[in-house]
Amino acid sequence: MSLKKKISMTVNGEAVSAEIDPRRHLVDFLREDLFLKGPHLGCEQGACGACTVKVNGQIIRGCLFLAVQADGSIVETIEGATKSGALEDLQNAFMRHNAMQCGFCSSGMLLAAAELIEKQPHATRAQVREWISGNYCRCTGYHSIVNAIVDVLSARANA
Amino acid sequence: MKAAQFDYVKPKTLSEALDLLVETGDDARLMAGGQTLLATLNMRLSEPSILIDITGITELKGISVQGESLRIGALVTHTEIEDSDLVAKHAPLLKLAVPHIAHRAIRNLGTWGGSLAYGDPAAEWPACSITLQATMIIRGPSGERRIGAEEFFIDLYTTSLEPDEILVATEIPIASKDQISYFNELARRHGDYAVAGIAAVAKKSGDVLRDCVFTFFSVGATPVVATKAQALIDGQELNDQLIKEAVEIARSEIEAIADLTNSAVAKQHLIGVLLERCLKDMLAQK
Amino acid sequence: MELNGEQLIAAPIPDVWRGLNDIDVLAKSIPGCEEISRVSPEEIHAKVMFKIGPVRARFSGKLLLSDVIPEQACSMAFEGSGGAAGFAKGRSRVELKLVDGGTLVSYTTEASIGGKLGQIGGRLISASAKKIADDFFQKFAKELGGEVIPLQSAPED
Repeated sequence: MSLKKKISMTVNGEAVSAEIDPRRHLVDFLREDLFLKGPHLGCEQGACGACTVKVNGQIIRGCLFLAVQADGSIVETIEGATKSGALEDLQNAFMRHNAMQCGFCSSGMLLAAAELIEKQPHATRAQVREWISGNYCRCTGYHSIVNAIVDVLSARANA
Repeated sequence: MKAAQFDYVKPKTLSEALDLLVETGDDARLMAGGQTLLATLNMRLSEPSILIDITGITELKGISVQGESLRIGALVTHTEIEDSDLVAKHAPLLKLAVPHIAHRAIRNLGTWGGSLAYGDPAAEWPACSITLQATMIIRGPSGERRIGAEEFFIDLYTTSLEPDEILVATEIPIASKDQISYFNELARRHGDYAVAGIAAVAKKSGDVLRDCVFTFFSVGATPVVATKAQALIDGQELNDQLIKEAVEIARSEIEAIADLTNSAVAKQHLIGVLLERCLKDMLAQK
Repeated sequence: MELNGEQLIAAPIPDVWRGLNDIDVLAKSIPGCEEISRVSPEEIHAKVMFKIGPVRARFSGKLLLSDVIPEQACSMAFEGSGGAAGFAKGRSRVELKLVDGGTLVSYTTEASIGGKLGQIGGRLISASAKKIADDFFQKFAKELGGEVIPLQSAPED
């Protein structure tokens, strides 16, 4: 007897239906079944943050969330966030500050940063550092990433 | 690594979930936030044949004040606690603790009840629930029962919950006007498992602390309350000398257990460090 | 990882010794024991389900006895495989002594746990192992019709 479940959800604004194994993680479903390669697999334990995606408006670990749990939900990956333009100033700031090298952490980093800017528009540098400590970067040493986020926070505050 | 195969069911009501638990026994695992469970399954440290997702059960959600108690539903997420005005007002200790729990993405899904039911020695909520004298509300096939937080945590990853029971909510006496709180956690990196931690409250008037509770976590198999240090401080004018004595007593009354990060001797030392910081902070609080 | 301890069991030495060598008593005493058999006078095979919190790891292993001094002491070497969860390997020495109140069982154990259980699941290996050892002795004492008498001082780290 097949254990597969029928699920349907919205991914980056589009309706998606599938029949999948309950054990399939959301991030694997997005990457392998929907070919959305933006979110990455790092540790598969929830620690590194490379798999971060948005479900129903909040960031979650795609490796600690089953695709079946997303049934009836609104899912957003970096691809959708880019298309909608919601991350434009953040992405520009990342480029200006050289906050990306290999890019592996960037998808998760940007989505995490976006939630910070939304929830704590007056975050201090220390708060920014604490918030993004859930996303590992092996290349940049983090300062450029923090600078980019602080840049956007102050630009928006002064807007 | 990927989890082994399992079936998945999402009951709509608490009684449905309880019936399922009885039917499936140890072959099933309850899932709330899944932030610990899914990692465990990913590593195949557990291979249940079925996952019972309880996140659809509205009865387990919500934060409310009922009389003199703050009721927190088992499915309330760490983020909801972080954002709650009711918690900020009536159980400020929790607000102090929440930023120490992992990271935002985990907090968005992880739950109050999940952390309590799992009973990880390094977790924040078990210690906080003891400090705040929470009452656990549990439902099983034979109905509802209540148990105090201190009795609820029995041993390593072992709580009073029977295999066919579900933690439904907790009730915490709302903070009195003169209550102050202190929380601190030492970890190698922010968000890591605690190396040692303290969750403390006291009633303050002038420089005198009364009804103090100092609960230490990640130093033993369950959170540990420093009853002798509490007795020493209670009703006394707090000063450097008293703090020093309290630190010594706390270090001698608690028998710490080593873990992968620190020896028992190191943990013993850190108990004193945390209590000193706590008392100095409480002395300075208005 | 080291695990050393002492348990005082309210039962005479011959009973305790016999119990430690009795497959049926061991089957009922080892927490999570699913199968156990004596393959030879020195070799025991067992399947044990290790349960802590949500973790369920089924270990299949063997125990080899050596340096046996009847009714006094014995050594054992053990190794077990927990499938995807990991593996465990170690040595232990158990000594029996007649004291006031019954038999004092002292054990010293050195074990290494590898694989996932050792790396990640094993944040509190020594606490988990101690809990299992305590559970074992509670059940073992009950099987002998005696009980475990709490000792005043706990073992040093």
